[in-house]
Amino acid sequence: MIGKSMWSAAAAVAILASVAGTVAAGPYDDGQSKKYYETMKGKRVAFVPLSMGFDLTEGWNAALQNQAKALGYTVDVRDPNWNVEAAVQAVNGFIADKPDVLILHPLDQQAYNRLVPKAQKEGIYVVQVNLKSVVNGDAYVGTDWYDMGVRQAQLMAKTCGKAAGKNGKVAIVTGQAATPTVIIGNQGMDDVFAEHPDIKIVAKQSADFDPSKAQAVTSTILKQNPDLCGIIGIWDGQDTGVAAAVREAGMQDQVFFISQGGGNKAAACDNIANGNFDAYFSYDVPGQGRDLNAAVKILLQTKPKPGSAAFALYTPLKLITKDSLTASSCWTLDQLKRDGG
Amino acid sequence: MLRGLNQERIVFTIAVVLFVLFSVLLPGFLSAGNLLSLIQNVSILGILGVAMAIAIIGRGIDLSILSTMPVSAAWLLTLVNGGMPIGLAFVCALGFVIAVGIINGTLIAYVEIPAIFATLAMGIVVYGFGKAFMTPIDAVYTGRGESWFYAIGSGRVLGIPSPVIVFALVAAAAFLFLRTLKPGRFIYGMGDNPLAARVTGIPVRPMIILQYVIISIIALIAGIVMATALAGINTRLALSTMVYDVILVVVLGGIGLAGGKGGIRNVVVGTLLIGILLNGMTIMNLTYTVQSILKSVILLLAIVADTLLNPRDEQTAQHGDI
Amino acid sequence: MAASEAWTRWRYRWIPDKLVGEILSKSWIDTLIPGVILAAVLAFFSLKLPGFLSGSNLGDIAQIYGEYLIIIVGITFVMMAGGIDLTVGSTFAFCNLAALLLINSMEMNLALGIPLIMLIGGAIGLINGLLIGYLGMRAFLTTLVMLIIVRAVVDQGLLDYGQTISRGFNASTAWEFMGVGTVFGVPSSLVVAAAIALVGHVVLTRMRFGWHVMAVGGSRRSAYNAGIRVKRTVCLTYMISGLMTGLAATFYAARLTSAGTDVGKGLEVTMLTAAVLGGISLGGGRGSVIKAMLGAVIVLLVQNSLIRMGLTSGTSSLVLGLILLAAVAIDVRWVKNRHKILARAYVSPTYFRLPPLPETAAGSGSPYALNDRLRGVAAIGLGELDGPEDVIFDRDDNLYCGSRHGDIIRFFAPDHRRSEIFAHIGGHPLGLAFDPQGNLLTCVGGMGLYRVSPSGEVTKLSDETNRSLLSIVDDSRLRLADDLDIAPDGRVFFSEATIRYEMYDWMVDALEGRGNGRIICYDPRTGQSRTVLPNLQLPNGICVEPGGQSLLFAETWGCRITRWHFDGPHKGRREVVIDNLPGYPDNINRASDGTFWCALCGMRSPVFDLALRMPDFRRRMVQKVGRDDWLYPNMNTGCVIKFDAAGTILDVLWDLGGEAHPMITSIREHKGHLYLGGIYNNRVGRYHIPGADPAWTSNASYWGDRS
Repeated sequence: MIGKSMWSAAAAVAILASVAGTVAAGPYDDGQSKKYYETMKGKRVAFVPLSMGFDLTEGWNAALQNQAKALGYTVDVRDPNWNVEAAVQAVNGFIADKPDVLILHPLDQQAYNRLVPKAQKEGIYVVQVNLKSVVNGDAYVGTDWYDMGVRQAQLMAKTCGKAAGKNGKVAIVTGQAATPTVIIGNQGMDDVFAEHPDIKIVAKQSADFDPSKAQAVTSTILKQNPDLCGIIGIWDGQDTGVAAAVREAGMQDQVFFISQGGGNKAAACDNIANGNFDAYFSYDVPGQGRDLNAAVKILLQTKPKPGSAAFALYTPLKLITKDSLTASSCWTLDQLKRDGG
Repeated sequence: MLRGLNQERIVFTIAVVLFVLFSVLLPGFLSAGNLLSLIQNVSILGILGVAMAIAIIGRGIDLSILSTMPVSAAWLLTLVNGGMPIGLAFVCALGFVIAVGIINGTLIAYVEIPAIFATLAMGIVVYGFGKAFMTPIDAVYTGRGESWFYAIGSGRVLGIPSPVIVFALVAAAAFLFLRTLKPGRFIYGMGDNPLAARVTGIPVRPMIILQYVIISIIALIAGIVMATALAGINTRLALSTMVYDVILVVVLGGIGLAGGKGGIRNVVVGTLLIGILLNGMTIMNLTYTVQSILKSVILLLAIVADTLLNPRDEQTAQHGDI
Repeated sequence: MAASEAWTRWRYRWIPDKLVGEILSKSWIDTLIPGVILAAVLAFFSLKLPGFLSGSNLGDIAQIYGEYLIIIVGITFVMMAGGIDLTVGSTFAFCNLAALLLINSMEMNLALGIPLIMLIGGAIGLINGLLIGYLGMRAFLTTLVMLIIVRAVVDQGLLDYGQTISRGFNASTAWEFMGVGTVFGVPSSLVVAAAIALVGHVVLTRMRFGWHVMAVGGSRRSAYNAGIRVKRTVCLTYMISGLMTGLAATFYAARLTSAGTDVGKGLEVTMLTAAVLGGISLGGGRGSVIKAMLGAVIVLLVQNSLIRMGLTSGTSSLVLGLILLAAVAIDVRWVKNRHKILARAYVSPTYFRLPPLPETAAGSGSPYALNDRLRGVAAIGLGELDGPEDVIFDRDDNLYCGSRHGDIIRFFAPDHRRSEIFAHIGGHPLGLAFDPQGNLLTCVGGMGLYRVSPSGEVTKLSDETNRSLLSIVDDSRLRLADDLDIAPDGRVFFSEATIRYEMYDWMVDALEGRGNGRIICYDPRTGQSRTVLPNLQLPNGICVEPGGQSLLFAETWGCRITRWHFDGPHKGRREVVIDNLPGYPDNINRASDGTFWCALCGMRSPVFDLALRMPDFRRRMVQKVGRDDWLYPNMNTGCVIKFDAAGTILDVLWDLGGEAHPMITSIREHKGHLYLGGIYNNRVGRYHIPGADPAWTSNASYWGDRS
């Protein structure tokens, strides 16, 4: 007797609960959306950037955090502050914690070679952003650096080449020579300039990603080549130094300066607007943030075996010049934090 | 003849020889424009060198200036970009660097931590504090104001780039301070023999604090020049090895690390040598890495020459003098 | 006895206050600071970070720790010799590059590759060493410039070989093992590092080269004057540092195969921080491998934990900097104030009660009544001598005494006017005794028991005894051997005044009132010394009784004379002969009539006797008052007593006013005269003993007439 009433009570509770459940999940289920939300809820994403505190990583993080908050999962960040050793320790720490997805922004091409397979063996998806290890993860989101070099060189060839009636004298102010950005990008430029014999590289100097060195190097180059036609830069953070030297020499009208970067307003659009930069290839951090979120979502929904189905989402490059500049060409961190990627 | 050669003269001779060589061999080296830009390119190094010289003459060293400089300047820009009037922002930054100087001085004078450690640790602390609480983003850019403030680093006065003028002003002020003012003379006394200075009645501890406050203020000036010259400043500079370059400029000019010797003239000589070297090598289109190798080997040769001409005696060398 | 005094007595008997000072005086106490910091770091982070002490995390840390440890052993050598090596960061990067190129890309054999890479590091160290050691350049500046040069070369190398390296991959198992392999769960790098640390520790503390390194760091000038090849020693330390850095870089290369531009950047600062955190002082001379190990583990744990806590890089820099500051501040303050704390904590008074002071007034009828019989005694060597603690004669009537300058001086018979330095020992000779063969045996303060042959040849007999099990101070070393006598079978019994103080501090021992001294027996048959009577209150004079089976010894601070049977039917028995002297007894020697002479080096005073019953008072005095103002026992006047085997006082000799012999430490009867020595005196006194046997000599009394 007692047993029976217990059973019926339990059944009543169960029915109530299921009714309540359907009420709680009240929004319309198109057959995928409910599953989508449930899959994402409570998942753990880990992010090891080069370093926090600069526009790219802060931007990606803002995009990641926004989606995480909206969908109920977490994104943990550990900041190695430009140090490979610290980064490796941070990644090892994360692998021990077993998150669902690990997003890496590697400092160099080799350091994570052992860590990527190690994480995948633990069942963690590895996404690499903007820079790549030699070993591919499950997804790559970011710039195709070869394409970047090609686009910069093509623009320069068009602007300073014989076709434009210029003398073709071009200088390249590059960064720390060992970074993939520089190595791969330079290869792209070399390949383009090989087809344009009218372009003459008068100087190719590294400024070590340091704007003050860039200024010193550029000012000397300008003194040596008063008839210089164009300069190609490597990163907006360094390129302000190049621009300062050009401005100082009073050659802003003569020298065509192409920069590149993540498209932050203060670093890119402001400099285009005031004439520091003449052209700017942006890899559009909000777009990359969106891609990053997409990669995470795809991996978590399709659930391939880690390492079995790698894919890439190369970022479409956006050329910003004074003519194409609009209010929405660039982004600010505040806006990104508010709106998400 | 050779006996009379000290490091300063050696470096000066090398500088002159290089200057003549470059003038003859490198087209365009001797133009007025190039010479000005030569000095301009090393003026920030020179300003920092003046600060470092004040520390080293007083038998100290300040490894934290390369943190104080970008952090204070970046904070100033952040405040200005946030809408604060430039004057007020400058006062805030000044207060910050004075506080850093006082902490440095207190650690060295009262807690008696060796200067090299106190300032090494303070460099890390200042950078960390700045990044955590003052400017969360590494790179801060100048806004688009029209104030004279933005011309400090990028303008020209009578055709001379303003960083060069700032360098000259800072050097002249430091020269007068060290030569004519009592605290300046005290710094020499303290560097020469701290114990004797103390016995003589010099207020050694307050003087050390004053010394480091002055150094921090010069660092702020250098930071403002750099930020306005490059339209922005990156606090990551604190992690670079630039501080070693600054020490080298000072020591290369002939200011001994043992303290009490040398003056601002030595800083100028050291700075000029570096300037001539860098400029000449850039004209020759040597790569950045080859430039660094050549530059540092020449520095090494200069101090080797000094040691050979003025050897240290096993019996008179100070113990613990590293 | 009042109840409070009884309580004081028990409290000081059972609570071992002296241990605090003894522990503080140990040199390993410096290691306690990093030890405490490490404990604090461990406690803090294991509370803050769950899984901090988990296996996988520790495994990751251990791998890096191995590399750090290898480097810091090299740095320790450099810093101990008074140098500094800032080049390590760049050397590390350079060797990492070389390892990647040679082993990873060109697949060189490890047995060939690793030594080669270490040699590359060693070559960079050698350049530093040549410049700093042989040319005498400043370490800081030179290694700084080398840091920049090597870093520039690394940048150039990355430019030239970066592509080659990033394509290379060495799949050999040995290389894999270096990178990720473990031995019983311990990473390969840590195993190697532990072996290196062990070798480093042994070299530094137990081997000639290590001692030279410490000497150069402790005082470069003295090391040079002592004949140590300073230049070579300094040069070698930099080479060691370079070799070690090369080895560490190889492990790093195997683990990460990373040729980034940031490799090794700031490593020099990390290592310097670790060394100083561990307590290795800048400028040299102070430190150990263990301290370096502790420093390195602290730095590594803090770094790793700050990363794992997910703090922003600014905050973790801030915390790291503050920890560095705090650690250095503690270290600096500790080094500066350590001896002050130690001086206050070391003196540990305890309770001691003497019987009521015997009367000494003239005409009081007391056996100790004052007289003036030593006034106007003849002086030998007046003004030439400095501190003849004891006096003795050979069979040819030549007089021997010690001097503060470390010599034994011989005055020639018959008039003892002409003198020569008989032997130079180096420490202040105190007690003297002749053995049957005519060798002079002496206790040398601070050195031990020595023998001088008739030709003046000096031999060390003993400078150590057995270490007692529970003593914290090292009581195996002889600090203050004082007086001796020789048994018929050749065994030497000698007293050591105190095991807690050096010779120049012997009077501070009086403030403690504890039995800190002992009697030791040196057996010539085995050449070994054993402590036979421990815990005596400054044992001083020793005299073997004519029976040859017992000896009398005086305890200076105990104001008593005791007989101890070392042989015969009563072997081991101890009996007090005189228990309440009016002063502090020093040497005891035989008299011609079968009785004994004893010198009292100072007289008791009621104030000090009372102070001995008040240990708290003495402790406060030591802690609050300057050393010169402490209350000491009176040493300004003394006397000579004569007593028989039963302890009856037979005679007393005073020098009122203390003009010639204010403080007498020894007496020797020889052919009808009594010769007086004093440790602070400038002469030997000669007193004619009325009615004494004019032919009696001590030598004959001990060893019979010359046959």
